[in-house]
Amino acid sequence: MRRLEKDESLCIGCHQCELACSKAFFKVEDPALACLRVEDREDGTHAIHICNQCGKCAEVCNTCVITQAKTGVYMINKKECAGCLMCVGFCPEQVMVQSDDREEPSKCTACGICVKACPTGAIRLVTD
Amino acid sequence: MIKMCDVPRYAGPDAAELEKMKKAHVLLNKVEYERTPLKHGYTDKLLTVDVTDKSVKISDIPAEVKEKFVGGKGYCLRYLWDATTPETRWDSPENEIVMSAGPIAGITQYGGTGKMLVCTISPMTDIPIDSNVGGFFGPYLKFAGFDAIELRGKSDKDVIVVIDGNKGTISIEEAPLEHLDSHLMGEELTAMYADDENDRKNVAVVCTGSAAEHANLSMLNFTFYDPRRNVVRLKQAGRGGIGRVFRDKGIKALVCKWQGVKANLNDAYDFGILNKVGLKFHREVANLDEKQNFMRSTGTAYSLRTLADYDIVPTRNYKFGDAPGIDNMTAEVFRKDWLTQGGADGCWYGCSMACAKTADHFLLKTGPYKGQRVCVDGPEYESAAGLGPNCGITDPQAVLELNFYCDTYGIDTISYGTMTAFLMECYENGILNEERTGGLKLEWGNSEASLEMLHQMARYEGFGKIAALGSHKQKEYFAAQGWGDMDFMNDIAMEQKGLEYSEYGSKESLAQQGGYGLTNKGPQHDEAWLIFMDQVNNQIPTFEDKAEALYYYPMFRTWFGLMGLCKLPWNDIVPADNSTTDEPAKVPEHVANYLDLYYGVTGVRLTNDEMIRQSERVYNFQRIFDIRLGKGLRKNDAVPYRSVGPVTEEEYLSRQERYDGQLVDLVGYTEEQVKAMSLAEKMAATRKFREDRYQSLIDAVYPKRGWTLNGVPTVAHLKELGMDLPELLEVVEPLQDLQP
Amino acid sequence: MQLNNRPYSHWREGLTVRDVLDENHFTWPKLVVKVNKTLIWPEDYNSQELLEGDNLEVIHLLGGG
Repeated sequence: MRRLEKDESLCIGCHQCELACSKAFFKVEDPALACLRVEDREDGTHAIHICNQCGKCAEVCNTCVITQAKTGVYMINKKECAGCLMCVGFCPEQVMVQSDDREEPSKCTACGICVKACPTGAIRLVTD
Repeated sequence: MIKMCDVPRYAGPDAAELEKMKKAHVLLNKVEYERTPLKHGYTDKLLTVDVTDKSVKISDIPAEVKEKFVGGKGYCLRYLWDATTPETRWDSPENEIVMSAGPIAGITQYGGTGKMLVCTISPMTDIPIDSNVGGFFGPYLKFAGFDAIELRGKSDKDVIVVIDGNKGTISIEEAPLEHLDSHLMGEELTAMYADDENDRKNVAVVCTGSAAEHANLSMLNFTFYDPRRNVVRLKQAGRGGIGRVFRDKGIKALVCKWQGVKANLNDAYDFGILNKVGLKFHREVANLDEKQNFMRSTGTAYSLRTLADYDIVPTRNYKFGDAPGIDNMTAEVFRKDWLTQGGADGCWYGCSMACAKTADHFLLKTGPYKGQRVCVDGPEYESAAGLGPNCGITDPQAVLELNFYCDTYGIDTISYGTMTAFLMECYENGILNEERTGGLKLEWGNSEASLEMLHQMARYEGFGKIAALGSHKQKEYFAAQGWGDMDFMNDIAMEQKGLEYSEYGSKESLAQQGGYGLTNKGPQHDEAWLIFMDQVNNQIPTFEDKAEALYYYPMFRTWFGLMGLCKLPWNDIVPADNSTTDEPAKVPEHVANYLDLYYGVTGVRLTNDEMIRQSERVYNFQRIFDIRLGKGLRKNDAVPYRSVGPVTEEEYLSRQERYDGQLVDLVGYTEEQVKAMSLAEKMAATRKFREDRYQSLIDAVYPKRGWTLNGVPTVAHLKELGMDLPELLEVVEPLQDLQP
Repeated sequence: MQLNNRPYSHWREGLTVRDVLDENHFTWPKLVVKVNKTLIWPEDYNSQELLEGDNLEVIHLLGGG
């Protein structure tokens, strides 16, 4: 299964991963439009929320438009998706993206753009 | 329990049989139309189908109608009124079944937003009935270009009406071979009109069942396709016999097809606010449902066990409220042994509350489908309580089997449960016996007898012919046969205006007695459920308080029916901080959500007061509609004493401490006096006190609603509401000074 | 002590909110509990003791189909 993995101890909170993700898929640099989240804790450390391909989104989808690809990555069939946003609301990591200029939500495809943008290796792409 | 995991379809029709059915269709009329896309929640189009001459008409819904009647139930009542006269009865050709989904219906972002409202003149009450139903037909009809559909006339042959929103066609087809029973016909028509397996979710069917040919208590099933179970699911427009009218018109089914459900087909004025509010709702359900009502795992039946702790689960025809044996029917039992989890349990897109549960691969033990494995939709609280403890039955297997057969035969579970409970009490009192029932031993707890009666009703034979009448007409029949005393039957038959009560005991809540009795369509709790506020919380102690509640809640809850919304997401989940608000019972944040949704779709900002006002216009219109048809006055709001207090000695003695105590605390006797009273005297004093109190309640409620003491909306109130329409004034003006 | 503005006859020393809920079979899942108008959260039901003059409100939020 292809998925992201994280090491929060390496995160410096530069948010480059979020900006790269939103830039790639929404053409703007906006952390609110990224399929992962870096949260700055008060003590100066950082929490990284990434999609671990847990499949909760597919489980709650009443229309079965989120399915697991051979790679293990859960993908949204946007043509069939009715934009009900249940997957976004139920995502345990709260890393799915809803944007008002699109009718369907987006999720992490484990494409690795965020990994390339990360200067410290806090996010990795793994296949297991 | 069999776990649900990509099981093969098990209820699907045979392909060869399907082909034969299709070939037997005869096209009687086909109309092509240009679809009007939705604009801010409306198409402003009405579809009229007359099955007598098979004609189809599309007309504009005028701005005045939209302004005053909003949509949903408002539209249904407006068009039903226009089509009928004071003499129209349920089986008159001009009687219509009108359906409308309302402006918010069809959005996908929030829970409970796909409801259809259905109205007709009822065979049970002879006044308008309204039902609020899930399934896909309501939204699909909107997407196909219609805010409402009215069905009129009578067809000499069994027909189906097929609306294809994408192609823009409406056809009326003779359809002789499809099975009448809904679990079959739903599958057959879904498969027939779907291009392929993946297309089944785009087909919505409305149908009833074989019992609707004769039984007054017949309902309509609305389907939705569950892609996880590969099965057509059924939701019910249950109350008041709409299925009977449907079949009397010679209509077998309605089909609406819409390919391509997307997030913004309503063309929302502010799409962003729908997303924002919807997402907030989904997060609330995700985080809190398992701490609150377990709707996602159990559905509404979660409350059976706990409501018995409050003495309000109707037990043995509402004699008691504690439902002995209810531990067989707890949420845990249903979850563990019967219900399957993880299916598509929202009856419309985006319902994260997902209360529509099923028992899968349920093995039937009786009836025409004995030995087959089926998908049972349910049980919901009302079905479980009515078919179960109200008849002394607490075996979940029996309740599910009754639930399945009621659904597929097209029988309203609530009316069937309440009516059967009445018949069982008649049996207990010798009004009925084995000879009179043709061998049915209608003893408490006898689920076999209840099932057999149901099968006889569907076949319209034996005692099933009597059962098909419903309790109101049964009383008259039993009295005419000299079998029973009418006064006693009037006390114990839990029906009012001809409609059976839904499933809550109201003896200890005066406000709920009004919540049932002071309703437009008959005793259904969808107007007001006040038992906790009144009986348990003691939040509305005075007549004035109760009257305020019986003003606010019926008006507030009517709004769901104008919009195409479900009531459950309002208060079967509440925000985490709801308890810190001024009026937790109203769930203020959710009311604000609804106003946001209305704004988001239509672009109109309502205040809370304006929201109530919208409802009030339609509510008063419906009251006047009742009056126009000969009911709707104070005398029609009288309730059976079983809903108010203990009818029998057995009931009084079962709660003697409570009733004796009340004679002291509430009625004003001294303890010594009570001790000296005979049981009959105590029961008479209790009855007088309670019946007087109900009258005092009415005295407080009617003026609050802007009605005379006879229950007639005043001209001044109609003017204030902007509802001083000539056709309404014509009805109410002569009655303004009439004393009750 | 008052329960929902009615006198509560079973008051005793050391009575807790939990005791009152149990004695009255208040099993409904959505309750709002207040003592003298102060909100009590569920985690404190076991420890919150009631005094003889307390006004306990156990508000059941309505439900029902």
